[in-house]
Amino acid sequence: MRQTYGKVLPGMKLSDLAGKLIVVEGTDGAGRSTQINMLRPWLEELGHAVLDTGMTRSMLAGEGIRRAKEGNNLGRMTQSLFYATDFVDRLENEMIPALRAGFIVLTDRYIYSLMARAIVRGMDAGWIRGIYSAALVPDAVFYLRLDVEQLTPRVIFSRGFDYWESGMDVFPGQDMYENFRSYQAALLAEFDRLSVEFNFETLDASADARLVFAQLQAKVQRILDADSRKTSFTGAHGHAAATAATRREHSVTLPRETSSKQSDWAFHPVAANLFRGNGRNFPEHK
Amino acid sequence: MNTGSNMRIGPFEVFYPIESAAPRLRHNGDQGLPGRLFVVEGIDGSGKSTQLSLLHKWLESRGYGVVFSQWNSSELVKDTTKLGKKKKMLTPATFSLIHATDFADRIERSILPLLKAGAVVLCDRYIYTAFARDVARGMDRQWVRDLYDFAAKPTVAFYFRVPLETAITRLVTGRDGFKFYEAGLDIGLSDDPTESFRLFQGRIVDEYEKMIPEFGLTVVDATLPVEVQQAQVRQIVRTHLERAKDLRVRP
Repeated sequence: MRQTYGKVLPGMKLSDLAGKLIVVEGTDGAGRSTQINMLRPWLEELGHAVLDTGMTRSMLAGEGIRRAKEGNNLGRMTQSLFYATDFVDRLENEMIPALRAGFIVLTDRYIYSLMARAIVRGMDAGWIRGIYSAALVPDAVFYLRLDVEQLTPRVIFSRGFDYWESGMDVFPGQDMYENFRSYQAALLAEFDRLSVEFNFETLDASADARLVFAQLQAKVQRILDADSRKTSFTGAHGHAAATAATRREHSVTLPRETSSKQSDWAFHPVAANLFRGNGRNFPEHK
Repeated sequence: MNTGSNMRIGPFEVFYPIESAAPRLRHNGDQGLPGRLFVVEGIDGSGKSTQLSLLHKWLESRGYGVVFSQWNSSELVKDTTKLGKKKKMLTPATFSLIHATDFADRIERSILPLLKAGAVVLCDRYIYTAFARDVARGMDRQWVRDLYDFAAKPTVAFYFRVPLETAITRLVTGRDGFKFYEAGLDIGLSDDPTESFRLFQGRIVDEYEKMIPEFGLTVVDATLPVEVQQAQVRQIVRTHLERAKDLRVRP
């Protein structure tokens, strides 16, 4: 049965959440949305239903957060709690129903980004962890890691400096570049700490996006393989079937061969198509 | 003052400019801040808002710098709350979180700075409202208390205690019907709004009663005449103002 980080919200049933919850984490500019936009069509091609979600996309609070960020008066606690509202709305109304329906839920950031941002803003670490203790423990957290030197050009030459991503609300002074670097370094240090605590699988995001994608495919495939073995061999047949499953794991090689082929982006028609041309032709983030 | 600090995390040294922005203010009552914070609590129809408004006028007439803050009134957040209520999108958890967000905005930008500046702050409903309502909706008692850990401790929290039937009679004559969340229709206690209101508010009263010893709420008998209640309230408030050294007076 699926678990939370401690608390269970009223009305939240943890049984029958058959889908997979896969988290892509990382700082700004690490290529999270690029990877999700490749993972989704690949998984759909394999026949899986996919829900992708991310911060501030909730029906309830998404618009409110966007409006609040336009002004200069969104405080640190308010911000942390507004994001928590957005997260829980998506958890209860999107992620859990999708998992119950057997979807693969791909989430662009999860509670870890939200905790890192809050902690860097001086929130009490125990306080923010307590709030997110109602979150589901995901099946995997893929942490796309970039250091400050690497992420700086990616962010500033694509979107430019953003007030909040530069931590202008956190650091004193008006120097956006300096603040950006200080803020991102603080976030990164917090991420690295969380990555140990929450068992992130770290990927070097400075590598070519295609390489990162191939690694992700292999890792996701492993999760799906483990699951298909479980669902096909347990249940009505009980212990005998489970024992048979253990034996068969070693003898049946076909699924592994298939998966290793699929994990190579070049052999996959959708992925191969994406990389045609200059290699930058990734689908736009919705 | 927060002066910031360097923290060593693994191989990294990180400068945190803010020591803690979620100050654990539990013990920060009269000793910590020069201002005074008076809050009123009670179910709908207990007459608490009337009492607070009378207190407000009295304090102003005596020259204090008084500021009033209402539950659910943050300019940044209230549209989201309104949307959630109108479209019936709120679950017990998001109901709790969006109200905490609203409260955080008022604490950060208004209540705390005002208390530091030596104002008298009056709040119509405070964290105890959230504790009562959220727990009545099934939220974990400790989780909700931890959520509001950043709140300033009131100088005095008045609880206007009234029998449920008295409150319902006052409300039914004053307006047409109950609203969806106010009557707790979201948690399915009863399909009939009045019956649901009765059951839901009953749970809330139970929570308030438990909080009287837990948080030292000052109980006022809200069945007494308005003038008698107000005299009691003013007497208690007066003792807390006399001991205050740094209160601001209106210019």
